[in-house]
Amino acid sequence: MTAGLRHLRRGRRRTVLAALAVFVPVFLLVVFLGMIGGMEKEMFASLTGFDTGHFQIRRATDRPASGALPLVRDPAPLLAVVEASTQVTWYTVRLDLPALAAAAERSLGVVVQGVRPADAAESPFARAVTSGRYLEPGDEGVVVGRQLLDALGLSLGDEMILLGAHPQGTAGVAVPRIVGVFDLPDPALGRGLVHVDLGVAQRLVRSPAVTAVVGYVRGVEGPWDTPRIAEAVARLRAHLPEGYEVLDWAQLGPESLGFMRLMRPIVVGFMVAFFFLGGLVVLNTLYLSVLERTRELGIILALGAPRRYVMRQVLLESGLLATGAAVAGAALGLGFVLVVEAVGGFPLPGAYEEVTALFGMQPHLRMRVTAAEVAMAAVAMVAVAVAAAWYPARRAAALEPLETMRHAN
Amino acid sequence: MRTEAVVEARGVHKVYVAGTVQTPALNGVDVTLSRGEFAAMAGPSGSGKSTLLHLLGGLDRPTDGEIYLDGRAMSGLSKDELARLRLTRIGFVFQAYNLIPVLTVVENTAFVLELQGIPYRERLRRARAILAELGVEKYANQFPNRLSGGEQQRVAVARAVVSEPAIVLADEPTANLDTRTSLDLIDLMRRMNEEHTTTFLFATHDTRLLDRVDRVIGLEDGRIARDERVR
Repeated sequence: MTAGLRHLRRGRRRTVLAALAVFVPVFLLVVFLGMIGGMEKEMFASLTGFDTGHFQIRRATDRPASGALPLVRDPAPLLAVVEASTQVTWYTVRLDLPALAAAAERSLGVVVQGVRPADAAESPFARAVTSGRYLEPGDEGVVVGRQLLDALGLSLGDEMILLGAHPQGTAGVAVPRIVGVFDLPDPALGRGLVHVDLGVAQRLVRSPAVTAVVGYVRGVEGPWDTPRIAEAVARLRAHLPEGYEVLDWAQLGPESLGFMRLMRPIVVGFMVAFFFLGGLVVLNTLYLSVLERTRELGIILALGAPRRYVMRQVLLESGLLATGAAVAGAALGLGFVLVVEAVGGFPLPGAYEEVTALFGMQPHLRMRVTAAEVAMAAVAMVAVAVAAAWYPARRAAALEPLETMRHAN
Repeated sequence: MRTEAVVEARGVHKVYVAGTVQTPALNGVDVTLSRGEFAAMAGPSGSGKSTLLHLLGGLDRPTDGEIYLDGRAMSGLSKDELARLRLTRIGFVFQAYNLIPVLTVVENTAFVLELQGIPYRERLRRARAILAELGVEKYANQFPNRLSGGEQQRVAVARAVVSEPAIVLADEPTANLDTRTSLDLIDLMRRMNEEHTTTFLFATHDTRLLDRVDRVIGLEDGRIARDERVR
């Protein structure tokens, strides 16, 4: 090992180049994985917090032609099942209704989301309120998105006409006052969604119904915890009365899931190319090193070293170089991710705002990487580097001592 | 009486082939070296000295004939077996010293012992002891490029004898040294020969050294022209 380290020190310039070829891909992979992990976490939080929950319990009937969710006229048996689950950490009920929002001469189709204000007080909707306030229990008001407010030409404090149009209910009308305005990253939501108290929404269908029980599973932080959700969902399914279904977040938001599934292979694909290039540099470096040391390797062989000893020396050298550089790359990458997280992420340039908004995310880069991912990045690159050293090592081991002695003399 | 044969060449021929050109280097050499001999192989350039030395050392194979080391024929040995034989039974001293540049003097000396699997402390102890015998212990922790030619060659001799091989083969060991240093080196090798009863055979075309050996084997045109005891 001492000789290996001295060889690396002797060919300092080449060693630095090869070390960079290992360091850079590992650093980039850790940072990219951190970005993906952060995006996944943000997307998941956005999707499940704003829309789907970790799971929803609904009536298992075909949706009406309008696309409205079927009404659950008596949610009590469902709530009893959810209440009994030890895996569900929190739940609420929601009544999603297709409706018409109107003011003066303008009207727009929206989804009225009837919520329990006490339950939704900590929801992303409540946190996204930038003007006025969020709903309070028994509130007769409405909270709307900035885009809808602008489209209808309304202001905070104005009244808005809501006309319920659920095909399974009786049409009802409410005229709540706008008590709050939220600014959501997704403009479609801002234009097409309003929040009212559950009681107000139930008046729009003239029924004490809900459309979904929205639940959250204990210990879930991101999409990587989907198996935990699946386990909870399976248990709920086993206990639900007939005629109901439990859909998990992935079923409720397949587009987001698809995007998440796409991101990782793309990055891994890029990184494979990076690793390959890194491997080529290591191969080239060690090959040159072997050529340069033909004389020395010949002496070693002439003295009686077994060929596997020579091969092991070259591989060891590669392993030392790759391990040092990969550990440094992984450590620096991890440090970068931790620092970014410690300062709460950093804002993305304006050009990325629209892209992040598509997935309901803030234009803010958060990062998250696991110890396993960091270790995987380092180990994979070391493996690539050692594999790349195989050819030079074999060449070194195949040298004929006498030929190299002649070369030496 | 020195009768126990360490190495023997029997009817050895060596022909180098380069494309269609065949160059005979040895033409039926018979020679035996016994335990404890201190012999020189003399002859002009191209007479086959180095070739015979390489064949005796298992670095090359004869085109015809047989080499025996400790009575064992070398022709049937695989490359790995030959390497093992070189490691345990043969010491080499080369004209260009050929120390390993990234190892210190003591590490160079102990290198063969490391290959033999001798524990670290033991091989260091033995390496230092032999360096002290050869008067170069003070350079133990220096790298070879800091040493003079004569000092490097002493270290090379130390490396060759440290594992107490059956025979030390030296190819023109004094070719790069001045007269005084050459004679000192030969005297040192002689002392190693006498104290450790190690057989020494060195190739040289320096006639001044021939006074200091027991036996001179003269080679001409790939044949043994003379083989006589001079002391």
